[in-house]
Amino acid sequence: MTDIYPTLAQCAVVATALKLLLFPAYKSTDFEVHRNWLAVTHSLPVKQWYYEATSEWTLDYPPFFAYFEWLLSWPAALADPAMVKIENLGYDSWATVYFQRGSVIVTEILLVFALHQYLKSSPLSHRHASHATVLSILLSPGFLIIDHIHFQYNGFLYGILILSIVLARKQSTMLYSGILFALLLCFKHIYLYLAPAYFAYLLRAFCLDTKSIFRPRYRNTMRLGASIIGVTCVAFGPFFYWKQLGQLKSRLFPFSRGLCHAYWAPNIWAIYSFVDRVLIGVAPRIGLAVNDDALHSVTRGLVGDTHFAVLPEITKEYCFGLTLAFQLITLFKLWFQPDWETFVGAITLCGYASFLFGWHVHEKAILLLLIPFSMLALKDRRHLGAFRPLAVASYLSLFPLLYTAAEFPIKTAYCICWLILFLYVFDRLAPAAVRPRVFLLDRFSFLYITISIPLIVYCSLLHGLLFGDSYEFLPLMFTSTYCALGVVGSWLGFMVVYFTPK
Amino acid sequence: MSNNATSHKPRRKKKSTSGISRTETNADIVSIDEQTHAAKPEFPLVAFLWPARGTTSQWLLIPLILIIVGLFRWTVGLWGYSGCGKPPMHGDFEAQRHWMEITNHLPMSLWYFHDLEYWGLDYPPLTAYHSWLLGKLGSFIEASWFALDSSHGLETQLLKVYMRATVIVSEYLVYVPATIIFLRRYGRAQGVGATSQSVALVAFLMQPATILVDHGHFQYNTVMLGFTIAALSSIYAGRLMWSCIFFVAALGYKQMALYYSPIIFAYLLGSCVTPRLRIGRFLGIAMITIISLVALYIPLMIGSLSNANQGVLLTNIAAPPLLDILPFKIHPKSAYYIPLLQVTQSLHRIFPFARGLFEDKVANFWCALNTVLKIRQHIEPVVPLPRLSLYLTFMGILGPMLVIGAVPRPNLLPYALASSAWAFYLFSFQVHEKSVLLPLLPMTLLLGSRDGLTKETRAWVGWANMVGTWTLYPLLKRDGLRTPYFVITLLWAYLLGLPPTSGAIYYDHANQNEPGKERPPDDLYTGTKILHGEYYMAMMIWHGLEAFISPPEGKPDLWVVVNVCLGAFAFGICYLWCTWKLVLGTNLLDGYFGHRRKIEEKGANSGGWKNEKKTQ
Repeated sequence: MTDIYPTLAQCAVVATALKLLLFPAYKSTDFEVHRNWLAVTHSLPVKQWYYEATSEWTLDYPPFFAYFEWLLSWPAALADPAMVKIENLGYDSWATVYFQRGSVIVTEILLVFALHQYLKSSPLSHRHASHATVLSILLSPGFLIIDHIHFQYNGFLYGILILSIVLARKQSTMLYSGILFALLLCFKHIYLYLAPAYFAYLLRAFCLDTKSIFRPRYRNTMRLGASIIGVTCVAFGPFFYWKQLGQLKSRLFPFSRGLCHAYWAPNIWAIYSFVDRVLIGVAPRIGLAVNDDALHSVTRGLVGDTHFAVLPEITKEYCFGLTLAFQLITLFKLWFQPDWETFVGAITLCGYASFLFGWHVHEKAILLLLIPFSMLALKDRRHLGAFRPLAVASYLSLFPLLYTAAEFPIKTAYCICWLILFLYVFDRLAPAAVRPRVFLLDRFSFLYITISIPLIVYCSLLHGLLFGDSYEFLPLMFTSTYCALGVVGSWLGFMVVYFTPK
Repeated sequence: MSNNATSHKPRRKKKSTSGISRTETNADIVSIDEQTHAAKPEFPLVAFLWPARGTTSQWLLIPLILIIVGLFRWTVGLWGYSGCGKPPMHGDFEAQRHWMEITNHLPMSLWYFHDLEYWGLDYPPLTAYHSWLLGKLGSFIEASWFALDSSHGLETQLLKVYMRATVIVSEYLVYVPATIIFLRRYGRAQGVGATSQSVALVAFLMQPATILVDHGHFQYNTVMLGFTIAALSSIYAGRLMWSCIFFVAALGYKQMALYYSPIIFAYLLGSCVTPRLRIGRFLGIAMITIISLVALYIPLMIGSLSNANQGVLLTNIAAPPLLDILPFKIHPKSAYYIPLLQVTQSLHRIFPFARGLFEDKVANFWCALNTVLKIRQHIEPVVPLPRLSLYLTFMGILGPMLVIGAVPRPNLLPYALASSAWAFYLFSFQVHEKSVLLPLLPMTLLLGSRDGLTKETRAWVGWANMVGTWTLYPLLKRDGLRTPYFVITLLWAYLLGLPPTSGAIYYDHANQNEPGKERPPDDLYTGTKILHGEYYMAMMIWHGLEAFISPPEGKPDLWVVVNVCLGAFAFGICYLWCTWKLVLGTNLLDGYFGHRRKIEEKGANSGGWKNEKKTQ
């Protein structure tokens, strides 16, 4: 077997060089959030972790992430003792920057390892495609923008997710896949959105007999159940013992926030808000009532708590109902066809459903569907057709995260480079589909990708020249609506591909 | 070739991707694995361009390369710059900004007369025009950046972004296209494969010293270097007149291009004389050079004359000394006075002979000599230093000048240019540590030649660059560029398979050096291995010492002095290597070596290796 070049390790080295150079780049409040967590976990006993509220950035991740921060806080205290003091709000000495940014890079090794395992587990006939997939994930602008500039620790978390997906390939390792996913949930609960797919898959393929659903495999069920309960106990047990679970719940699930995040994540609600905005102008002519109270808040477009002027309000119940409904639909297919590819498809669609219909969705959550979808994108051209607009939309939707001038060239150049390179490579590697393509997805995606160029130009350059600082919600609204169209389009496309039989 | 439109062959089917073999065009970048017998890339940079070999269009590949090398430039720019947060004088960043300020606000006739003490304009006119343009554009965005006097020492985030962007844009308009075109012509003329050309392009554009000085420290060297490459490129294309124009532009942008001028001059003269005398060509070259030199000063002349008409007076300033030593006197009212005044004043600013032999600590001959024997005490009383420096420099450049003049072949130009630039760097007056970019440029261009990616050239070019960047370290450290220095330098070493990331060039497991065994054709001489190996060791140890151990009492500059001395010695070796390769390349010594080869072949019983590629 000949190796494929450039290898994963070679790409990781060069990517790391770029990431090291990004140390002085813009960092969001998340940097201070994580510094504060280092300080909280370092200076207080575990009992008080979820009660400490000196900083407004309280600990709102599950216990394993807190343990992880606690582990990090020891070398952090060596690097700069002032970093782990709770009262040092907004502290960002050079040592702190080096340490925190460095820890993101170091923990990302887990992602590289997971991708390596993915590569090893992929069938020989798919070696080239898997290699391209793996590099596309490793070099994803998502990680560069969110982790290495904006600042978060998604790299190693997605490493765990990918490892768990890889382990789900074989019966013999499926147990570990379940354990890893439980572990992941105790690191960051956003992955709960993917849990239905895991639940259905592990239940059907691991706990029940492959031939008949009426013959449970008790041994497997016991092992899986015990391990998951074990993981949960390690994470939440102490807090249960101290009777703090209520406090944890209020920290982990802050339901007081609004439907749309400060910047609209590109989902159904972004389109909904956009339509509402348009209707404000049209409504008086066609005799619809306009809610004047909402008018003011919507115009700003940047608020947390959105009210709609013309269209009906959306409640949390609607969001959950819709999310769950669309997730359940995908699980049907998984239930009857519990193979690995369907499983990955189901994860992707669970991610889609929660992203598109969820309450208070962050734009960063796009990785939740993008990363699993990457593993399927090269299956055939129909998959690729659905993947393309998603890739463009997701990275474009991350642009507003970085609004400083110095980072503008980085995000645009890097994303454009990634898109040119990988869409080209994917295009060459994706095999023809067995079934003919159903509709004009290709034309749609080509048109869609083309529009992105004037959009970027308008949002970053023209708008400032035309309007100066006024109407600053416009570029954001255009971006999120445009991206939402892409995500919805690719979702529809993928649904069709997913549900049509092979 | 990727260009299907021009090729007459039918479009080839997609090759099976594993079916790569070692052929003549890729022998230097592909090696065969001992166990599996599979072809594998010789060093990591080849691996990155591995998927692009064959049918990938250059229209796709080149933009991707440019984006990626651009990203590294821009991210280096996020770090500190010369003089950041160091009032009152700041550094090169402030100097460049200040020039934009004065060219935009002062009448042209005062450009070269304004306060020398606070970063007076001391670069040739093209830099002044360039500054004027950038200042004009910048003032559209934010007028306060270049407001007269009040903007001194300004350090806002947006100004930094703007200034960094001007460096990148200038580079991408001059240096990058010139490099792409040059490497293509240079490679094609010598039958270099497409993948090797791309490898050379990336290696050249990722050259650490240039990135760190221009995008880290802050300067516009790449404009001058780019014009020089454009001049070289025109020579390759046989357009000698254009090469004169470009070279005058390089000189007119930064006087440092003088390091190259003896070679360009000797080459152009030589090409008019050999193989036969061509008077027409000579006159054309002379004319075009004079015309472009005049054109360089015309805007300044016109501006000054119109300023004079408007009544801008130059009364309270001292006339430049150059004007005084002219054999004839000009009345201040005469029509020639103002142009002559401007030219002499700008020359006076550009060549400051009043300053010392060397500034700071530079890894050249003088600074190294100074550590052994104090120049001011022992040599200055005997010989005036400027004259001594002039003699030594002249001796250094005479060899390459004569050779390239006698054998004006474009393939030899990089060797000759590097040799001459090393001589200037080592011996001339008033050398800055940043001037090491000048000899490194033609040396790094060698990567694009036919033997460019062989172990030998890669080892030497890599070594020169690594040592060169290393001598810049004290400067970069002052600018807060320590991390970018390590990242960019190690990245380049990694891409090219150089120590400290890999010892593959110097040690080949399959071909170990055993007594009695013939040296494989692509292996390096043992002496080279020892020299380079020791330098890499020394540099690593030096960094360890510098980082963790403070120098002994009374010798606070010890580490810098060690750096300078080792650097100067290495550059001396580089000078000798370039000159030696130049001489070998002329085939003037073939008679001698051919004779010796014959004797050796007679002596050997059975076939020694027959190498097409001359001697190592």
